[in-house]
Amino acid sequence: MSLASLAHPRQDFSYGFLDAFAKRELRRRMLKAIAIPGFQVPYASRELPIARGWGTGGLQVTLSIVSPTDTLKVIDQGADDSVNAANLRRFIARMTSVATTTDTLAATVIQSRHRVPEERLREGQVLVLQVPDPEPLRQVQPDSSRAREMHADADYAQMWLTLYEQLVRFGRFMQGASYPVLVHGRYLMSPSPIPRWDTPALHQAAHLTLLSAGREKRLYAVPPYTDVRPIEFEDVFFQVENMAGRICMLTGARNKFMDELPVAEGGSQFRLSDTGYAAKLLRRARGDAATLGATYFDDEGHFYQPGVIRAE
Amino acid sequence: MSMPHMTPAELRQHATFTALMWAFSYPGRPQRLPAAGLAAFVAIGETLLDLETGFFTPHDDLVPALAATGGRPLPPIHAPYQFYPQLTLAELDLLVTAPLGTYAEPDRGATLVLGCGFAHGTPLHLSGPGLAQPLTITVARLPDELWRARATVAVYPLGWDLYLVDGDQVIGLPRTTRVEVG
Amino acid sequence: MAYVAARGGEAAILQSEQLHQLLNAPLSLATVRMIEASLPYLVDRVMGEGSLYAPELAALALAQTGGDLYEAVLLLRAYRSTQPRLAYAEPVTQTELLTVRRISASFKDIPGGQILGPSLDYSHRLLRLDLLDQDNQEHSASAPPAATVSSDAPAGEAPPSYDPSPLAVADWQRSEGLLAAVPEVPPTDPASLPDLTREPADFPAPRAHRLQALARADTGGVLALGYASMRGYGLAHPTVNELRLAYADVRLRHPVTGEAFSIGRVRVSQCEVVNTQATELRLGYTATLGWNEVKCIAGAMLDLEMDAPQPHPAHSEEFVLYHTEPVEASGFCIHYKLPHYVTFQSGLDALREARATAADAPTEPGDAQ
Repeated sequence: MSLASLAHPRQDFSYGFLDAFAKRELRRRMLKAIAIPGFQVPYASRELPIARGWGTGGLQVTLSIVSPTDTLKVIDQGADDSVNAANLRRFIARMTSVATTTDTLAATVIQSRHRVPEERLREGQVLVLQVPDPEPLRQVQPDSSRAREMHADADYAQMWLTLYEQLVRFGRFMQGASYPVLVHGRYLMSPSPIPRWDTPALHQAAHLTLLSAGREKRLYAVPPYTDVRPIEFEDVFFQVENMAGRICMLTGARNKFMDELPVAEGGSQFRLSDTGYAAKLLRRARGDAATLGATYFDDEGHFYQPGVIRAE
Repeated sequence: MSMPHMTPAELRQHATFTALMWAFSYPGRPQRLPAAGLAAFVAIGETLLDLETGFFTPHDDLVPALAATGGRPLPPIHAPYQFYPQLTLAELDLLVTAPLGTYAEPDRGATLVLGCGFAHGTPLHLSGPGLAQPLTITVARLPDELWRARATVAVYPLGWDLYLVDGDQVIGLPRTTRVEVG
Repeated sequence: MAYVAARGGEAAILQSEQLHQLLNAPLSLATVRMIEASLPYLVDRVMGEGSLYAPELAALALAQTGGDLYEAVLLLRAYRSTQPRLAYAEPVTQTELLTVRRISASFKDIPGGQILGPSLDYSHRLLRLDLLDQDNQEHSASAPPAATVSSDAPAGEAPPSYDPSPLAVADWQRSEGLLAAVPEVPPTDPASLPDLTREPADFPAPRAHRLQALARADTGGVLALGYASMRGYGLAHPTVNELRLAYADVRLRHPVTGEAFSIGRVRVSQCEVVNTQATELRLGYTATLGWNEVKCIAGAMLDLEMDAPQPHPAHSEEFVLYHTEPVEASGFCIHYKLPHYVTFQSGLDALREARATAADAPTEPGDAQ
């Protein structure tokens, strides 16, 4: 008998890169996050071999929930093929031997920066959103400790005031992405910088959403079938981005979130932001088999749950 | 560089964690643990405990296994993770002292793992996050006083997060779940 | 060791310098050449803060100081200040740059294309421990294999067209009316530009002073204040409109013929950030000599924020420009190592007297507890 025969085979890195302690800590925090929807749970947040602020929060969550039986989709701005998405996917696959896909329907775990896929997520799927700034109150209270007290007291008056000021100055709410939402009637939450178009997808959703900010060391969750309401007034409503009249130059799709592409001669063209969905539309147009899921917005631009977007 | 792979312990803990994650995500729906009976409690223990946290259990057989994780044995008033394989009325007096968290740190509310039976028993009507529709489950071998205590001791966002274990099945009842007895 | 020993002060200085040299690798031309060749980003940082484009001198400064960045910048600045001003180069325009890296976060694709160029952005930050496993001898003997860049274009297909001087994203935004047009200004004589190295900044600073100050600023300082702005103490949430690394020809007019000609190429970097939270886009900008991406991005964020009506103190122009000046800031910081015992004694005297007075004074009624 030799020592080598008793020891584990040498591995340069643990499964999922994170060591057992890091994973256990993340898992403890994630369970608390699911139990207290929208509450920012502090966590240790390890350094990873990816630059800080480039998705290390989402990455830590993904690395501690996936196993070799999972199928992973990674997107950045909706695109599977962007360098950042490709890089994160390459890293996760290298560290976990997880299968990867661009098809939202085939994925069990979707790590995303700034988008929710167009096709509706279903029960048992996990959406991991990368979060640059978890604090929805940052713009009214840059000090984290004070913002934390405001959350403890559910004191969101300043946020409403800001909304009102925008209305007076600009005639509309000026918040672009990261539109703040109230989760389960209690915590104000930043949904991460997803466009307003994607915000309603979190409301009473079938899937689980985990949000994680590596640099700021906070993670939080929206469990399935949980109320997620964008803040709005009784008479002035939250609005999603206007996609009317924008037609995808590749697929002809409409009433989906579009990327604007400047044209040198002036003006713009549009292309579906969700590249996985676009690829399936193209396959189907060529006559190849492609299963399309039901989308959050139909081709007329109506959201699938009536009454959720009151500005409709 | 070779592809890192899961050790047997990692495999077990991953399976346990996945069950716990979905149990809180869809309260009332049983999830499968990779171990049954008292071993299920140990599996949950090794998945959640290490020397950065602490536990309490009145069950003597469980103490060495849980302590082996590195977790510190703590009194029920302080322990963030508590394991009651057969919750008695006397033990309930200990359980009700478990931490509820504070408004600044509601995540300090305790996680309680309770042994019970799902086949029959007291009907519990569940509603809240994770439940598209209200759901009724039956739970045996838990004192009804537990539900009264849970409803009166804490107001959301404070509270306890519960895992009910029967054999290799686990049901999650996070603090957001409304439970009506009867 | 008494560092102010009146006698032997000079000897102490010599010995201290000798000890410093002893603890560092001997200064040699080979070291200087190696630094210049193998640490171009460090050289660029020193040149940017030193505001002197001279890779060889920057490498020498680094070698001479054992890599102490502030000392190296000071060496370069001190040398720079001795140099005569012989001529004014022609302004470098964006369209004449030879761009090697150009990315925009505002749009997925931009006219002229996204050019990733040389970057470690998407590398996995794993230490190459295998390199250390090699036998020392083997390691020193075998040079790393020369990097070969393979073309991914399938055979027969032309590589994608490359436009070395693409249209600026901001120009497209101007054509769309999203961004204010560049105001018409008569061609400036470079000699009449306000020059921070010739006149101290006054606030509000002329635009030229502000951009010069940011170009020369301490990378870490600009980053710290810029990060504060990005993280939430600023009012804006800007997007990187365009970040460029490029080579620029330095062109002079021939004194006799008046013809413009290039006297050499310098590495330059620039970043433009844009803010959407208004009815019109607003730009922030920073450019530096050398490729200094972090400084350009952070500086551009600060430039945008310093225009705000009520900036956070850490983004007021005066605060930023004064406190990110590397030579002044580091110099003042290390001056605290100088003897201060006279001023300290004077302070002690006041402190002792105040204590004595307090002890003698009758206790005030409110304090009796």
